Amino acid sequence: MNKLTLVAIVLALGGSSAARADAVLVLNSEEASYSILSRSGRIELARHPVGREPHHVIVMPGGNEMLIGSTVTNELLGLDIRTGERRRIVKDVIDPYHLGFSPDGKWFVTAAYRLDHVDIFHADGFRLAGRIFIDGLPSHMAFDAESKTVFVTLQQSGRLAAFDLQTQTLKWNVPVGDAPAGAVMLPDNKRLLVALTGQDGIVVVDPKDGSLKGELQTGKGAHNFWPKGDGRHYFLSNRVESTVSLIDTEEMRVVGNVRIPGGPDCMDITPDGKELWVTQRFLRRVAVVDIEQLKVVASIPVGKSPHGVFMLKSGSTGPAKGPVRAASTAGDTK
Amino acid sequence: MRDLTDIWVGIQAWIFEAFVGPVLFHFGLMAWYEPGYNAVEFVMLGIVQIAVIAIGMRFFERRWPLEKPGEDDGLILVDQIYTVLNKLGVVPLAIFVVTYPLVQEIELTVRAWGFAPPRLERVLPWLGDNALASFLVYFVLYDFAAYWLHRGQHALSWWWALHSLHHSQRRMTVWTDDRNHVVDDLLITLALVLFSQLVGVQPGEYVIILMVGRLVESWSHANVDLSFGWLGNRVLVGPRFHRLHHALANAEEPHIQDHNFAPVFPIWDILFGTAIYDERNRPTGVDDPAIDADNGRGWMVQQVTVFWRFMRALVPRLRRAPVH
Repeated sequence: MNKLTLVAIVLALGGSSAARADAVLVLNSEEASYSILSRSGRIELARHPVGREPHHVIVMPGGNEMLIGSTVTNELLGLDIRTGERRRIVKDVIDPYHLGFSPDGKWFVTAAYRLDHVDIFHADGFRLAGRIFIDGLPSHMAFDAESKTVFVTLQQSGRLAAFDLQTQTLKWNVPVGDAPAGAVMLPDNKRLLVALTGQDGIVVVDPKDGSLKGELQTGKGAHNFWPKGDGRHYFLSNRVESTVSLIDTEEMRVVGNVRIPGGPDCMDITPDGKELWVTQRFLRRVAVVDIEQLKVVASIPVGKSPHGVFMLKSGSTGPAKGPVRAASTAGDTK
Repeated sequence: MRDLTDIWVGIQAWIFEAFVGPVLFHFGLMAWYEPGYNAVEFVMLGIVQIAVIAIGMRFFERRWPLEKPGEDDGLILVDQIYTVLNKLGVVPLAIFVVTYPLVQEIELTVRAWGFAPPRLERVLPWLGDNALASFLVYFVLYDFAAYWLHRGQHALSWWWALHSLHHSQRRMTVWTDDRNHVVDDLLITLALVLFSQLVGVQPGEYVIILMVGRLVESWSHANVDLSFGWLGNRVLVGPRFHRLHHALANAEEPHIQDHNFAPVFPIWDILFGTAIYDERNRPTGVDDPAIDADNGRGWMVQQVTVFWRFMRALVPRLRRAPVH
């Protein structure tokens, strides 16, 4: 009996909700599919079709549904956050490459990477409030804690733009470095970290005016952040260096590195906080990292060019507390 | 199967991360990072195709040749050059550089209007759960488009001026399929990429369709005296079926090349009345001495002379005045 059969039987006997509580979702961006993996079994259980070029996934305010952006078919696919089952399709969301809800849950923003615009929606009903055309490949976003501003990296022009959510207007647009991608607002709401995929590290930006307050060398192709969960440490994938760095944002220094071959990209952490799962774009795999040891303990085959990764939530998740953030805050360089 | 995938992807990732990726990073071309990775795969697939042709298909040509070795054997060399340039991505890269911005612009404009390419899986949900069926359906659609483009290559005088280079070969072999003018390749690529986007072919599927399709087409040009059998010859295009399409026109059959157009699936010729099945062996080539003169020329000279042939067909003023 092979491993897959064994896992399938165990999951079937254990009941579907328990099985799915253990599940991980991975978006296979060049295969137009998403994989459901068993977290404990470390194996792919199923693969389902989804639009075309799905890159990122995000949790809806309320925490009961997740949305996958299907960039080429201009739509969002809504899945049940516990079971991974399809709920609905939201049409006419143009090129939803990167997605984000403002912390107060009132605004929904998409960065149209290939179509060079940023769309700001009223989250309630996905009503378009404003579309701002801006050159330079809008790539990734972050919000301020007050839900007044969304910051969007412009990967081709090397800039960071800030937009007022209420008025849907540009506040500022400043150069930050080569090929900025992932961005994350630190809990103090005074420092915005931006990963420079065209360089070998990150910059610290003042969210008030976009001025640079510092920089940190991490590795070539710095790309994507994921919080460790303690409010202080953040993981950062370095796509060209093929490493993930652990950054202490209080001391602004790298406190650890783990080598992950295959262009590491998006990340998520298991609910127990012990493992970091990282998509390996080029190897068609997802790496599992033991966080305490900073060591790869498994690598699971999935589909072509895996990008977003997301831990399905167990049982009664209830409404999400605190800021709602993208499950995969960074993307690719396309 | 997964082991094979791991080996394949492992080689691809190693080449990319050791050579291509660092170069792109150094020159600030990170927007090309993902396309660069896919380009490595394209070249790897090209090497596999050349190996299949040079080792596999050539075995059958040597073992069961239709035409015996003769004085025209020297004409094959230039076709081999075409194949290497095509399969290793030199010509496709040039075409990509030209077509990519145009295809992008068309796609972006259309999408900005709110039009998104349909997916057959929407209409036929079962396709989504069956990768092989999905691949076959898209392959058939792709081949349907290729059939009509091929008819266009013969029906339009300016396009025939380009495509005639492909037909001018008197010594048809497994290498002949790639013998095309770059402008001809460009037009076909552009049309097929747009068509694929329109019907929703995935990028990954497109690469496999292209590879499988081109291998079948290489085989259909082979100099072999083999048949798939009555049924097989109606399912898949084989050497005898396609050789008739390359047959030299004569007084008895002046339009013989206006038959058997299908690239992969002969069903299109059967449906649209252009199929001929018979067992006659005919010489191949063209009856126009000006086009036949392509033979014996090298790659570059063929490209230049055929380009002018194309320009003269396209722009009447460039045509030579008739000699009285």
